[in-house]
Amino acid sequence: MDSARHGEPRRRTRARIPAARARDALAAWLFVTPSGILIAVFGIFPLFFTIYVSLFKWRLTPGAFLGLGNFAELFGTGGLPLIGLGAAIVAAALSILLLGRDGLPAGVRNAGGLTLGILSAAALAASLPAVAAQGDKEVFDSLRVTVWYALLTVPVQLAVGLSIALLLTRKFRGRQVFRVIYLLPYVAPTVATAAIFQLLFSLRPDSLANQVAAALGSQPLQWLQEPKGVLAPLFGAPPPGLGVVPAYWMEWVRGPSLALVSIIFYSWWVFVGYYALIYINGLSAIPRQLFEAAEVDGAGKLRTFFSITLPLLSPTTYFLTLLGVIGTFKAFTHLYVLRSAAAGGTTDSISIEVFFTFFRKARLGYASAISIVLFLTVLGLTLIQQRTLERRVTYGD
Amino acid sequence: MATEARPRPRAQPRPRPTAGRAALSVLLVLGALVCLMPFLYLIATSLKSAAETITRASPFPFLPDFWPSVPRWSNYAEAWTRASFSLYFRNSLITAAVTAGGVVAASSLAAYAFAKIRFAGSRALLSIFVATLIIPESVYLVPNFIIVTRLGWYDTLAGLSVPFMGSAFSIFLLRQFFAQIPAELLESARIDGAGHLRSLFSIVMPLSGAPLFTLAFLAFVGSWNSLQWPLVATRTPRWRPLTVGLTTFISDAGPENQLIMAGALIAIAPVIIFYLVAQKQFTEAIARSGIKG
Repeated sequence: MDSARHGEPRRRTRARIPAARARDALAAWLFVTPSGILIAVFGIFPLFFTIYVSLFKWRLTPGAFLGLGNFAELFGTGGLPLIGLGAAIVAAALSILLLGRDGLPAGVRNAGGLTLGILSAAALAASLPAVAAQGDKEVFDSLRVTVWYALLTVPVQLAVGLSIALLLTRKFRGRQVFRVIYLLPYVAPTVATAAIFQLLFSLRPDSLANQVAAALGSQPLQWLQEPKGVLAPLFGAPPPGLGVVPAYWMEWVRGPSLALVSIIFYSWWVFVGYYALIYINGLSAIPRQLFEAAEVDGAGKLRTFFSITLPLLSPTTYFLTLLGVIGTFKAFTHLYVLRSAAAGGTTDSISIEVFFTFFRKARLGYASAISIVLFLTVLGLTLIQQRTLERRVTYGD
Repeated sequence: MATEARPRPRAQPRPRPTAGRAALSVLLVLGALVCLMPFLYLIATSLKSAAETITRASPFPFLPDFWPSVPRWSNYAEAWTRASFSLYFRNSLITAAVTAGGVVAASSLAAYAFAKIRFAGSRALLSIFVATLIIPESVYLVPNFIIVTRLGWYDTLAGLSVPFMGSAFSIFLLRQFFAQIPAELLESARIDGAGHLRSLFSIVMPLSGAPLFTLAFLAFVGSWNSLQWPLVATRTPRWRPLTVGLTTFISDAGPENQLIMAGALIAIAPVIIFYLVAQKQFTEAIARSGIKG
């Protein structure tokens, strides 16, 4: 891929005289200045500024200094739950650090990493319910929405996108037509396509979703307006007098609301073609000789797929996973268009929560605090993915 | 280098039509129908009368009730005027064009410096730029709103476009491409007395048509489709883009689905037409933006 490195400036043959070098440096800095100022003002400074804003009660103008008051509202102030949550984060960080260390014997590394990982999960399972109970319930609900959304979109889009890519790299007449069609949903403006889905998944008995449901023998459903968890019928009403911890996890077990599932269908419809396109690109970078060699060696189709195609696609898969998870935290437009009051906030992801805290409630300080936590979460997830997934990525060089 | 993948050797005998092969074709066609169906629904509904959206509401394109009895073309004109689309259309067009122009200009300059001039601190600076890429947009919502307001750019074209002109992603992408342009070309130009700016405009940029198109295109579409920032950064219709106009129209039009769909079609049509005309560059642009390096 990167054979064309010959353009690098270091290959200059003549030694430049100092005055010329100074002129070059000056030119370089002048060239970088426009982008530099823009990125500094709108990309870097805002990070520090938002930390500053988060320390205030800030309506449309700055108000009283609150210190960590906004964060206290978000997480609550009870010591024990916060210590538990902190311990979970520290254990997770240590586990990742340990798994990334190359000097240790593999056995020690894996056993230690695993133990710490389990400890972290246990601390999280015990402390998160208490933190959610003492902190801002809406924000923690939006976290759950975000996690469900990520879990049900990214893996499905990866699998279906790859399947379509495999079908579309075969040679057949009209292949290009299919490629164009599959990318249409991704290309069309989100506001408009989301408006279409609003009608397709409306609660009217003659909507597409309800006609399909009827064909499957179901009563008309509320779809985008249904706040109840899709798995709730399996569990029934939670028994009264349940402790904080089981009651909280019961909410998770009841699953995403049907409204959120409808939005997830929309996400599949939009992104599968995009994932397929990226996979087609990845597939075209795999040298043909490898497949020929596998065929000569008598490897079957499945064998070839699992020992050549999939490993050599791992950079693409890694990239799409990273992009997908970050994208989940960024997702805004379709969630905004497809949300309904009737769904009772069960489709409001954390980015929607930040937006409404700012836009409707005009609480700029608090919105800043939530967005900082969001940022740290994304950062943490990115690091986790880097440490755990990237190690398994095979770069085909 | 952009050759198609051929996972199977070409010299094989013509593939026999087997049951498996037929099933795969059926799957592909079904998938394509799923992709297309919402668009067909959009077209059909946008041409119905208000009554027909209730009486002729079959959701399957192969049934006659999916389509209007008589297409009502006047829906488009009605949606266009009721939602003041002329203004919003113009706003979106200008905002997207200005943003794309700014991105291309600022990024070309910076990418040239990073790729073709050795200067102290270039690596560190580029890493700082690129590090901003992982930050979610929500984080910028509040601080950039305050910054833009303080600059007096609230509800102006500048407020909608300038914050997006500094694009670390574009710089990074262009730098990769610029670096592949042979140094000898620039050397000879310099011997002829050309400065860096001349080299950039007369040698590097003309050789980089494809990536520059990609960037301009992505910046344009990104601006055209954006909703969150215009919602907070505009107060009056003066610079409000089509996306905001359409969302307001959706909530204001109430039950008049045929008008909502006509409005949605108006917003979709230019992008789709552009896509079908330039689909090769289009798919390349998206694929290029997806794959690093």
